[in-house]
Amino acid sequence: MSAADLTRPAPPSPGPSRPASRQFSTAWRFALRNQTRNRLAGLLLAVFVPVWYLLMLAIAGHQPLAFRLYATGQVLTVDAGHLTLISAGLNSLTIIVGFAVFAAIRKTLAFDKRLVFAGYRQATLIAAKTLAITILAAAVACYTAVVLLAFWRPSPAGWLAILGSFAVIALSYGSLGLLLGVLVKNDLEGFFLIIMGGLMDTFLQNPLGNPLANKPILEWFPSFGPMQFAVGGSFGHQALWGHLALGLAWAAAFAAGGLIIFQLRTRSRRHPAS
Amino acid sequence: MTTVLEARDVHKAYGRHRVLQGAALAVQPGQLVGVVGENGAGKSTLLKILAGTLAADQGEVRLAGALGYCPQDPVITESLTVGQHLRYFAAAHRLPSLRRADALTELLGYTEFRDVTAGALSGGTRQKLNLTLALLHDPDVLLLDEPYQGFDWETYLRFWDVVSDLRSRGKAVVIITHLVFEQDRFDVLADLAGGRLARRQPAEGESHVRS
Repeated sequence: MSAADLTRPAPPSPGPSRPASRQFSTAWRFALRNQTRNRLAGLLLAVFVPVWYLLMLAIAGHQPLAFRLYATGQVLTVDAGHLTLISAGLNSLTIIVGFAVFAAIRKTLAFDKRLVFAGYRQATLIAAKTLAITILAAAVACYTAVVLLAFWRPSPAGWLAILGSFAVIALSYGSLGLLLGVLVKNDLEGFFLIIMGGLMDTFLQNPLGNPLANKPILEWFPSFGPMQFAVGGSFGHQALWGHLALGLAWAAAFAAGGLIIFQLRTRSRRHPAS
Repeated sequence: MTTVLEARDVHKAYGRHRVLQGAALAVQPGQLVGVVGENGAGKSTLLKILAGTLAADQGEVRLAGALGYCPQDPVITESLTVGQHLRYFAAAHRLPSLRRADALTELLGYTEFRDVTAGALSGGTRQKLNLTLALLHDPDVLLLDEPYQGFDWETYLRFWDVVSDLRSRGKAVVIITHLVFEQDRFDVLADLAGGRLARRQPAEGESHVRS
């Protein structure tokens, strides 16, 4: 083939709807691929999740603990080990999903900017990233909830409540990863904020050796809603949908912040033709 | 003759460091323009402002037609293959087929790396991919920042084949570099120094570079 082959005029482009849908399908598949091509996050998933469950269960023991359900004012007496398994699952998800999304967003920010410059619609890229994060969060949450069954068999409804809370915390921290990915100046800041934030957030909700637990201040943490939903479902046989929605509100707030900054950072300053 | 890219009185400072102080440039269809400058002279800043990825503090840039921009450091994604990059950018440009992408990969001699992830490519092949992405939509004006870094001799020659093809079809090419090996290839060479552009070797006809 020679340079002459480059000179042939391109066939006319089909209508605007097809390229737009092709942009979306290409973007979400590649965004998902990027987020799942993180070996460290994969290793964390395969090794960290079961080891963390095992370790936390061994530390917690099985003494009874008082856990306050804010929706009803009820104080439940729960098994410390089982409660800590929920905390450990929530905590694993904050680290793994937060880290995977943060790393993927950081790596591709300049590339996304180039795509927008080349004509990719920002709204399409944003929607694609949101979908990819949602799929990743749901899949990792499912895995984490399934591994939990090796250590504890709650009732089916209880397990579904735990799965729901895991999915919501994964979404929240995936969104936080997105926000930090477009916001912080260097990688270390982001990793530190995700790891420390996730640890504090999830373990402060657990009354095991924590004097702050059951205090109203915990309502202002992202994992408050998911933890209440999981405990309400698995120990109290109640579906506290409002608390699950509270977790989703955190996810939406982080995602909105992240996507607005993403939009600003990838916008093109292209000059119009004269 | 129509000007496809024109910059007037472009100023840019980073804090107190004034990088561009009234740089001006006019590029016409089919022209090959070289902007030459020492390291730190502000070449990449100028190119980013011409491309519209960076805002100037003052001045005006006007572009007629489609623009292709090839940054100095390959802006690619490590985990995607060459083929996936091509599909991604074909979607960005709303191209109905990958025919031009196929022709460019063949011409630049890296078709066999189509299924290789960008992270596993050599520096030269990454640069080829970087260039291909800027050329995919057959732009009217092509801005290239140190485009042949890492190219072997064969690729370097093929690169000039691509440039000749573009010029023969009335496309303008602006190359920013710190070293010019073959001055004869260029219609206009402009030195970037002191934040301004000065034409190096005046040719016959009107001056395209205002200092």
